[in-house]
Amino acid sequence: MMRCSLRIASRLSELKSLADQLDVLAGKWSLPKKCLAEINLILDELVTNIIEHGAAQGEWIDIALVREEQLLTMTISDDGHAFDISNCPTPDTTLPLAERCCGGLGIHLVRKLTDSQHYHRTGGKNIVTLTKTLPKEGS
Amino acid sequence: MPLHKTMNATVNTKKNATIFALKGRLDSNSAPQFERQLTDYLNTPAGHLVFDCNDLDYISSAGLRVILNIAKAYSACPFRFVACALQDHVLEVFEISGFDSFITIEGSVEECLTQLTTP
Repeated sequence: MMRCSLRIASRLSELKSLADQLDVLAGKWSLPKKCLAEINLILDELVTNIIEHGAAQGEWIDIALVREEQLLTMTISDDGHAFDISNCPTPDTTLPLAERCCGGLGIHLVRKLTDSQHYHRTGGKNIVTLTKTLPKEGS
Repeated sequence: MPLHKTMNATVNTKKNATIFALKGRLDSNSAPQFERQLTDYLNTPAGHLVFDCNDLDYISSAGLRVILNIAKAYSACPFRFVACALQDHVLEVFEISGFDSFITIEGSVEECLTQLTTP
């Protein structure tokens, strides 16, 4: 089992720090470029969501990644306002251009790029747990 | 292999099109500045527009929002908006979001230019 914990401040400029830390992790865990980009995107969308919508009072966002074989479990916790991602409506991505809007696209990407998503709130914290199956090396 | 942490866009004109060569990461940090750079194109499109995404390493929903606004602006004018040379995972994000259904995606700038005619 491999573990990695990251902590970033609750502001958008920290997305760069997140990307830097994931770059290092991808090297250690031998993650392919596309896989790294997907993990970065999943965490980026959730962190951006927390900062823009949920965490006006929160200071830190904690991210834990645990890898067991090809199963990656990601836990994102923050101490901002309650925000349950499972309540976000799914956007209709088949609508014609004129009717498309951007609401919900970030969470839609998170859902499509992970196998499961779970939200709970405990001790004044939002905790989102996601699982993702990583591709086998060489595939 | 370090990725670029911010995005910049180099603007060129070729034939009858303006070409933005995007480089780096289009996320919630860089999207607002990119959208400001596109103000004239969003408000009054005056010619074809090409986004060369060969060096675009990363896009998030904040970047998609800018792309959607550009696509909408160009759907309502005589000119066209075309994107090209998307990296695998950027293309994947376009596809998951359904953007490939309303944005023409070509393999290269040259392929874009051959199909853009003067309106």
